Amino acid sequence: MYSGIVKRLMDDNDLKIGDYVRFKSNKFEIEGKIIQNSEFTKENIIILKYENGYNLGLDVTGLMVEKIKRADEAETESEAKAEISINKDLPKISIIYTGGTIGSKVDYRTGGVYMLLKPEELLSSVPELSNIADIKPRQLFSVASEDMTFHEWRAIAKAITEEINNGSRGIVITIGTDTMHYISAALSFMVQNLNVPVVLTGSQRSSDRGSSDAFMNLICSAQIAAKSNVNEVGICMHKSSSDDACIFIRGTKARKMNTSRRDAFRPINDLPIAEVKMDGEINYTNDYINKPSGKLELKDGFEEKVALIKVFPNSDPDIINYYVKKGYKGIIIEGTGLGHTPVSGDPEKSYLKNIKSAVDSGVIIGMTSQCIYGRVNSKVYTNLRLLSEAGVIYCEDMTPETAYVKLAWLLGNYSSEDAKRLLNQNMVGEIRNRTLYDEFLI
Amino acid sequence: MMNEEYCKSIGFMCGLEIHQRIDSKEKLFCNCSTHSISDDEVPVGSVYRYQRAVSGETGKIDIAAKIEEQKKKRYVYNIFKNNSCLVDIDEEPPHDMNREALQTALEIASSFNMIIFNELEPMRKEVVDGSNTSAFQRTTMLGLNGYITVNNHKVNITSMMIEEESAGIVSNSENTSIYNTDRLGIPLVEIDTDPYIRTPSEAKDVALYIGTLLRITGKVQRGIGTIRQDVNVSIKGGSRVEIKGFQDLANMDKYIENEVIRQQNLLKIKEELQQRNFIFKFGEIIDLSPIFKNTKSSLISKALSKNEVILGVKISSFKDYLGKEVNPNRRLGSEVSDYAKLAGVNGIIHADEDLIGKYHFSDDEIKNIKTALSIDDKDSFIIVAAEKQKAENAINFAISRIRNLSKLIPLETRATYDSNLFTTRFMRPIAGGSRMYPETDSKPILITDEMKQEAELMKPNLESAINELRDAIKDETMVKKLLLSPKYQLYKEISASIEIDKKMIADILMQKFTEMRREGIDVDSINDTTIKYAFELYKDGELTKKGIVQLLKIISKESKDADKAELSKIISNNKLKKLNKEELLKIVKEFKEKDEKNILSAIMKDYNIVVEADELKELIDTNKDIKFTN
Repeated sequence: MYSGIVKRLMDDNDLKIGDYVRFKSNKFEIEGKIIQNSEFTKENIIILKYENGYNLGLDVTGLMVEKIKRADEAETESEAKAEISINKDLPKISIIYTGGTIGSKVDYRTGGVYMLLKPEELLSSVPELSNIADIKPRQLFSVASEDMTFHEWRAIAKAITEEINNGSRGIVITIGTDTMHYISAALSFMVQNLNVPVVLTGSQRSSDRGSSDAFMNLICSAQIAAKSNVNEVGICMHKSSSDDACIFIRGTKARKMNTSRRDAFRPINDLPIAEVKMDGEINYTNDYINKPSGKLELKDGFEEKVALIKVFPNSDPDIINYYVKKGYKGIIIEGTGLGHTPVSGDPEKSYLKNIKSAVDSGVIIGMTSQCIYGRVNSKVYTNLRLLSEAGVIYCEDMTPETAYVKLAWLLGNYSSEDAKRLLNQNMVGEIRNRTLYDEFLI
Repeated sequence: MMNEEYCKSIGFMCGLEIHQRIDSKEKLFCNCSTHSISDDEVPVGSVYRYQRAVSGETGKIDIAAKIEEQKKKRYVYNIFKNNSCLVDIDEEPPHDMNREALQTALEIASSFNMIIFNELEPMRKEVVDGSNTSAFQRTTMLGLNGYITVNNHKVNITSMMIEEESAGIVSNSENTSIYNTDRLGIPLVEIDTDPYIRTPSEAKDVALYIGTLLRITGKVQRGIGTIRQDVNVSIKGGSRVEIKGFQDLANMDKYIENEVIRQQNLLKIKEELQQRNFIFKFGEIIDLSPIFKNTKSSLISKALSKNEVILGVKISSFKDYLGKEVNPNRRLGSEVSDYAKLAGVNGIIHADEDLIGKYHFSDDEIKNIKTALSIDDKDSFIIVAAEKQKAENAINFAISRIRNLSKLIPLETRATYDSNLFTTRFMRPIAGGSRMYPETDSKPILITDEMKQEAELMKPNLESAINELRDAIKDETMVKKLLLSPKYQLYKEISASIEIDKKMIADILMQKFTEMRREGIDVDSINDTTIKYAFELYKDGELTKKGIVQLLKIISKESKDADKAELSKIISNNKLKKLNKEELLKIVKEFKEKDEKNILSAIMKDYNIVVEADELKELIDTNKDIKFTN
């Protein structure tokens, strides 16, 4: 938004975004259309779109301005009419849209990046989808994944069960990538006895660019939702940097491992469930649940007072007390190596006393590793044994994020004792009792 | 040649778009090297991608973009250790714009007297031919409304951009294009002129002027492909056509003239069709494959063996049109064929071609084609051999081009085609305005007054550069050559810092260097500073002019980076040291004693490397009367 001198100039001359204007000085005249500035634009600068399509920034100080004509009304209308052809003979799937890069585009009128409001717009840009399934799009909200809370997670879980109950044989959820692996873990726990594939997907390059990974990710996700009998929640994104295939990763075993690459999502301590190509070829590379063991059920309680903390050299163990004092019921620690915190050195830096008193006061403390790969162990070193004896629960091969989600979910739906007991027991595939050689760095 | 009067009469319009790579150390939006890879460098890896057209700013999908997408090509990108990173393969957002490149661009803009903006807004220009991994090119307009004066005519530089170079194509087949990403992202400036260049030959002059101006900055890359000139041409009643791919400027005017002629011929066809009230009628697309079961046409049998089909379509009452020549050795059929190629086919066969001679069709086959398509004497037809869907697309592209013949001359981007006949071929429809949108991954760039002042101070000035050189070396041909030469910067440096005859400097850097290159001496690999030292030693009286050349020959082998002391050593070791007056007098004396008739030439014969002839002559003249006796 414009402010200061530019805003005054616009107000004084009754100018709005989209109006065509002429700026004059004693040296030059420039005509163009006023467009929205970005948050980085300096205060006295107005952005014009020139006739050749380029934008330019002019310092308005000392310039004369004339209005040439008002904004084109037609231009302010939303564009790209969605046309989705529906083939009722194809498998019925739902695409639930929640926001994120995959659903964002540039608003050309204003120049900013906005969330797509209509899921149809996304579908119309990927016409292949209508050959894969009879697609029912549904927009839930448009929230960036880093802004999502338990509230949004619940809404997504509820939407999943509704769509299944309405006859969908698979669900695709488009979502922001930043916290996708937290959400995929959460949904894995929340939707009990899942009887269809639930596929989370997103993109690392926005779908308004021709090179976006959104197109292939969506197509492959729809293939899994329409064709596979994996009754689990998973993430389907690029397998490599090439547009070769996507991998479908178990929801509790996935992690975003790169800030920007399209193959950022990797399975951790697990193999991908499947590899899928755009043409619908699905190769299963791991075991998976193909039959629900009971009735579809939503268990969507979450305990707000659960923290995920990271220990680091010279860190202050007082952080434990801080959370205990705030009434936290659970803490997942991202420890070093096999699951350490400082214990035996400088007493000021030892976590042991604080952990012990937290556990004694009823707080559940789970241990994971900042190594990310591998399994924690409570026995190999003395320091580990000390922590274990203090009551820390070693969370096996769970990622810190999954352990955090699981503990919050357990405390939201079970008694404290059950939660403590279940934290390191496998429930939906989040813990695997064998660590395989070929799972590392894939 | 088309003169100004003639051009005016046909409504000739012509403008240039010049792209020049800037010689910054790093790329425009990442920190990869801009140095070219060696020919045998092996990529550290490669990725492949597909691209698709997305709605542009106006919500419309650009036609050029859509056509590329229809080809459904796989683009392979080779990645090189020092020259490409995640930014180049569209896996990381861009870094900040390279300041060195920006400053050079601002200097160039200053030299055109442009209005430089206060804040630059990086944009994305959609490109889905695979040449950009991101499917767009980052491009930023720097300024507007500059000018140059060529042939006493003011040519406006309407706008100037700083943008990314595209990836270099390695190979291109029907389904896959392979690109190297080393070139991708190297900074370029784009310089656009107004469309009022008056004649084809003036276009050449303007291009040469701008090219020379860019080179004298010393901050642009040199060599093949580092500068590209695109020409926009139209005539009254015609359409804007952009021609790309000039290898050099020498024949630019001839290509432009041919484009004028092509548009004139298309206009004639259009007018004739309109006079006939011609309405295009096309038959059904028919599969002619069965006709060619036992064909002797290798083109057809090869296609059939690959399970491809032979499709044909009738064009009613259109006989002889496709055979009309629109440019030297380019028929209307070739124009239509170029459109069909958009579908990824090799071309079309049409009725006005020599079907028997060129394609080895039999009389029966021709008869059967005519029957199958119900062709009578006035009708024409086209045939395409390809995989079914592609063949259909190709015919539809061809039909759409033919339909336009009675309406308009299409806006096209064309490429140079025949470098002997100076003809062009259709590449793609001209890109529409819907290809621009803001680059939201990068911040706007504030241009401070200090940056503008620095640019103003450092800007190249061609007129004053030419005048200076004229005064100094008084040789018009040499002035032009030197300005365009990669040695110009070195010349400037040496002539500014060492007080010696400037013509001599130019002569060595230009003429003598050329001679040495011809002898196979790698004189260009000698360090500029070392060359400068050689001239300093000349000034110090250690070397003659010939001695400089001799020294350079020696050091080009192993002492390319020698410092001054090393050079002195090489001079004495190789007996290149210029003789001083005493030594020279002594020799003169010796020769006089030998009773040489022409002492000058006799001495020069033996001592030409270490003696300057004019100095010797002067010495002899001033010492004429001295008797040399024991």
